[in-house]
Amino acid sequence: MSRAAETRVLFRHIDEPGLATLDGYRHHGGYKALERAARELDPGDLLGAFEDSGLRGRGGAGFSMGKKGSFLPHGEMSKYVCCNADESEPGAFKDRELMMKNPHQLIEGVAIAAVAVGAAHSFIFIRGEYWEIADVLDRAVREAYEANLLGANVLNSGTRVELVVHRGAGAYICGEETALLDALEGKRGNPRLKPPFPAIQGLYGGPTLINNVETLSNLPHIVNNGASWFKSFGTEQSPGTKVVSVSGCVQRPGNYEVELGISSRELIFGLAGGPPDGRRVKAWFPGGSSAPVLTEAELDLPYSFEAMAEAGSMLGSGSIIIADDTVSIPHLALRTARFYHHESCGKCTPCREGTNWTVKMLERITRGEATPMDLEIIASVQENIIGHCLCVLGDSMAMPVGAMVAKFRDEFERAIEAAREPGRGEFDASPIDRPLTTGVQAA
Amino acid sequence: MTERQQVTLVVDGVEVQAPEGEMLVDAAKGGDVEIPVFCYEPKLGGPVGACRMCLVEIEGIPKLQTACSTPIRDGMVVYTGTDRVVEAQSAVVEFLLVNHPLDCPVCDKGGECPLQDIAMGWGPGRSRVTDPKRHFRKPIPLSPLVRIDRERCILCYRCVRFSQEVAEDEQLQLLERSSSSYVGTFDDRPYIAPFHGNIIELCPVGALTAEAYRFRARPWDIEDSGSICTLCPSQCNVKFTVRDERVQRVLARDNHEVDNGWLCDKGRFGFGMINSEQRITEPRLNGNRAGWEQALATAAQRLGTGERRIAAIVGGQASNEEAYLVQRIVREALGSPHVTSIDELDAAGVEALSAPQMSASIADIDAVESVLLIGADPLNSMPILDLRLRKAVRHSNLRLTIASDRPTALDGGAEETARYAPGRSAAFLAALAAELGPGSPLDSPRQADAARLAGELRPGRTLLIWGEHLARGTGGSGALSSLFRIATSLNCASDTGGLFAVPDGTNARGVREVGCLPSCGPGFTPTRPGNTLDEIKQGLTDGSLDGVILLHADPVRDLADGPGWAKALNNARTVVAISSFDDASTKAADVVLPAEAYAEKEGTVTHPDGRLQRLRPAVPRPDQVRPIWQALAELSAALGHETGVDSAPEALQAIAASVHFYADLTPDEIGGTGVRWQTRPQAQAFPSSEAGSEEGFEEIVRATNSEPGASSDPRLASADPSPGSAPALRLGTYRDLWADETTERNVALRFLVPQQRVELAPSDAQRLGVGDGDEVDVRSNGTSVRATVALRERMRPGAAFLIEGIGDQNANRLTGAETVEIEKP
Repeated sequence: MSRAAETRVLFRHIDEPGLATLDGYRHHGGYKALERAARELDPGDLLGAFEDSGLRGRGGAGFSMGKKGSFLPHGEMSKYVCCNADESEPGAFKDRELMMKNPHQLIEGVAIAAVAVGAAHSFIFIRGEYWEIADVLDRAVREAYEANLLGANVLNSGTRVELVVHRGAGAYICGEETALLDALEGKRGNPRLKPPFPAIQGLYGGPTLINNVETLSNLPHIVNNGASWFKSFGTEQSPGTKVVSVSGCVQRPGNYEVELGISSRELIFGLAGGPPDGRRVKAWFPGGSSAPVLTEAELDLPYSFEAMAEAGSMLGSGSIIIADDTVSIPHLALRTARFYHHESCGKCTPCREGTNWTVKMLERITRGEATPMDLEIIASVQENIIGHCLCVLGDSMAMPVGAMVAKFRDEFERAIEAAREPGRGEFDASPIDRPLTTGVQAA
Repeated sequence: MTERQQVTLVVDGVEVQAPEGEMLVDAAKGGDVEIPVFCYEPKLGGPVGACRMCLVEIEGIPKLQTACSTPIRDGMVVYTGTDRVVEAQSAVVEFLLVNHPLDCPVCDKGGECPLQDIAMGWGPGRSRVTDPKRHFRKPIPLSPLVRIDRERCILCYRCVRFSQEVAEDEQLQLLERSSSSYVGTFDDRPYIAPFHGNIIELCPVGALTAEAYRFRARPWDIEDSGSICTLCPSQCNVKFTVRDERVQRVLARDNHEVDNGWLCDKGRFGFGMINSEQRITEPRLNGNRAGWEQALATAAQRLGTGERRIAAIVGGQASNEEAYLVQRIVREALGSPHVTSIDELDAAGVEALSAPQMSASIADIDAVESVLLIGADPLNSMPILDLRLRKAVRHSNLRLTIASDRPTALDGGAEETARYAPGRSAAFLAALAAELGPGSPLDSPRQADAARLAGELRPGRTLLIWGEHLARGTGGSGALSSLFRIATSLNCASDTGGLFAVPDGTNARGVREVGCLPSCGPGFTPTRPGNTLDEIKQGLTDGSLDGVILLHADPVRDLADGPGWAKALNNARTVVAISSFDDASTKAADVVLPAEAYAEKEGTVTHPDGRLQRLRPAVPRPDQVRPIWQALAELSAALGHETGVDSAPEALQAIAASVHFYADLTPDEIGGTGVRWQTRPQAQAFPSSEAGSEEGFEEIVRATNSEPGASSDPRLASADPSPGSAPALRLGTYRDLWADETTERNVALRFLVPQQRVELAPSDAQRLGVGDGDEVDVRSNGTSVRATVALRERMRPGAAFLIEGIGDQNANRLTGAETVEIEKP
């Protein structure tokens, strides 16, 4: 297959040395959008443009960014913008590159969002493990303050935009927007009950706009080029480009910026090189490890929010993980379940106990202590979790695990049988620490 | 508060009417539909939706919703019994039991356990779990009073929310994460906090159990008996759990108007004293056991002969009936006017401040805009008030303003605080009254503080809570008049925020209202003036009084000048003491009559906000103990004066006949939740007052401006004390929640008994060369008290505080002293 082309907007100059500096960013017209937003444009028009552009949240839920912004009440009050940079979903590493190499694009995006909703204080909540990137952001924020692009009177427009980079302490749950708010307030990062939604009552009780790094990074481009320009990319329901992290059993793992709606096969094979020679795609997560897995038969689906939802999965954060035919699905299910069990905050019952119980049952399969009846229980437990939790973390385990059990049932049954025969196990009792074979290692 | 609109919804086919915005789980009860919950507890604040037990189906919403967090709307159609709901609820029960040990047969909660009930009612009825459950070391002490079994815990968060959002001690935390989460404290430190016992009652499983109740009874062995806790003025409504005629535990009997459903640890665990071996259970004559007839005859003979110059002091533990009968004995049977309460206040002042039209109920705190807390330390003298104020600050944006001599636990939530020097409360009140009133501000060093405070206060929207401490000692009556001026300036009225007094004695208000004040009979009717407490002490010492009746009163411990009182009681010709335990006063007594414990008593008490509440006997009286009303009626008869009281209700009847604003009160009307006399039409009979007139005010201003003692001590006047001479500090005293008999007589609580300590500001300590934890002597006029130094950051420099009423090294040895010196021993 011919090597497909990327469509680079956010990644346009991404590998240029010096892009992370203010001068480097300005060299390509950086901060012109903020200048227009702060000085010329009406905040209402700004939000209108975002809504018109059809920009959907890139963090996982895919909700219209402009609409979310319009939910914030108007008038004088303490409002906040929070950038969710707690990128922790297994398979996702796009925000990392966006922030590392082009921090000013994000800072400009946050500032524009702050101007649009009238928030004087903004925060970038970055996961603790991204300490190196937090340093990059800190440097860039300092530069922006020095150039009066942030501060009490941004570009002498009379608008106040303060920005603080806050480092998380390394819990996956803090990527959940309300847990993020609690963590930012200095509390244990546990999800809050919704409603009230953050747009009404968020950080410190004030109306809060929370968006993903990639979502906010798109804003300068929409301001510069207009909503219709943005809509010229992608599909009707999924306009724009998307940075997709492709990992797992592919030959060229990495981030690829593509127009939404391109064929998944083009992305996985054309750009990422597909699985190593002689192997086939067995299962793939289209949107991070929390998305229900798809199979080889679904490789030709367009890569868009709507097509993935129709196939019973989701585009999520846009992170594709490929498992080829060397990967054991029960093993993959256990590994997925263990991650979510480990990261469950423990506040609500179905997630706390359901992830725990699922892990125990899947472990029994590897130990040869399970029967096919356990598969019924595993499946029913996943159903009992989905839609019953306080936040989506429980669903994030139950959906992929449930899909794996449903779609690869015979493999599970064979694994149970095999593991029950001493010494003849399909996989040994402690394979879980063995890394999944990736294309890179195989090559 | 505006009435919320009633809306109609349909729950399982039944039309239900409920106020709009009410949570579905509560509204459904109106349709006789029970939706199971674990984490939902309105007492703890808003819903958290953590346990997911209450999932229900609502028409038009695709996902199941938690009924605990869904406010109802008009026309809502709800199903709680569809297959989806049944499946989801049974799944949650199954999940909860994944790690629950199901050790019901050996669990204290068995039989009264919400998890048991809900598992039976909504669970799958069988288990699919074959995997091992989680294990913890168990049961381990969470505190000396509470044990935790973490295996039984279903992580509903109730106890943690209590600690963090109700008591705000923030000691309990959820540690770890996911299915490894557990409830604990930082570094496994014991959870020591004044309200922590509430978590036992909040726990919906057997994870938190009371040390005192473990393995003591099963729900089918016990009976609960409702009454009132009389260990402090909060007068919380309680249930005594009784097995084999003994109180085994105390539970809250939720009364929103009184206690919000909480108890302090003293109230919850203090019942051990009822069964104490040290109780006085038989009458005594000169230290020897005696029968009732002999004891009463001797008492009558000793009190009734001679000139009958007898006084009586009634303690705060006394019921209205007891206090009423004592004053009848003294005034009518003995013809002596000297009756007072150990919580004595200037009669005119207290009467003016008790006027029904300006009196606030404790529940009013939830609704008012601002509270001025002045001279009161709720945590130590009325703990439940502390929780009530915290709740209002947290949930109804109450603006709290505090003026006190000593830092209070509530300072952190206050908008503004002012700290005056100990002994200068009257002057501060005068300054504040001048600031708020029509006159010009005073030329007082306290004026700036007063102005700052006054800036926070909005007339007509402020509830004024004052501590009766303010009205003690020199300047006490001035303080009351200033308070009255402040209340008038703030337009304190019962519908927008009135006055509320925090007394020291549990039933101080009732005791005074039924006639135990030197110049007032029942209902503040004027009588022949009698001696005040100080005059009684003097009279007993110099022989101008013949004897004294002490009812639940230990002046040697609880009043200023303890040594002087000891001398007075030793000098007295006759002392009749009615008490449950031996104390300094019973030691000096010729006749000692045993008193009932509070769980044995029948009668009424009056809450500081005027609510009459019923005490009902939960357990029989031990040994020879008789009801005090009966003993007093018999004593009166022996003195030749028949009271006509043959039962506790008859005593109440007699009170209702003589206290006009209590008129027609019956036990039935008081009922289980009490009645505030101010809300009855008979309240109009409350005598209208003349206090607070402009004339009186001028007098106060003069009196407080002159500030007696301000310059009498030359060491205070010098701003820069010369090195070498020990600089003097102003002496303040305060009540400590745990420094009393309840704590000392209770084995379980003994670890809380405080040692005398002297609180100093860090700067003073540095100047004196003493540090936190040092042992020092606090001296004045040749007497001294041994105490441990405790540094308080928020304290006003130049002051030293000691605990009053403490068993050992009592500060009342020094009272009367304005200043003290601190020296290393």
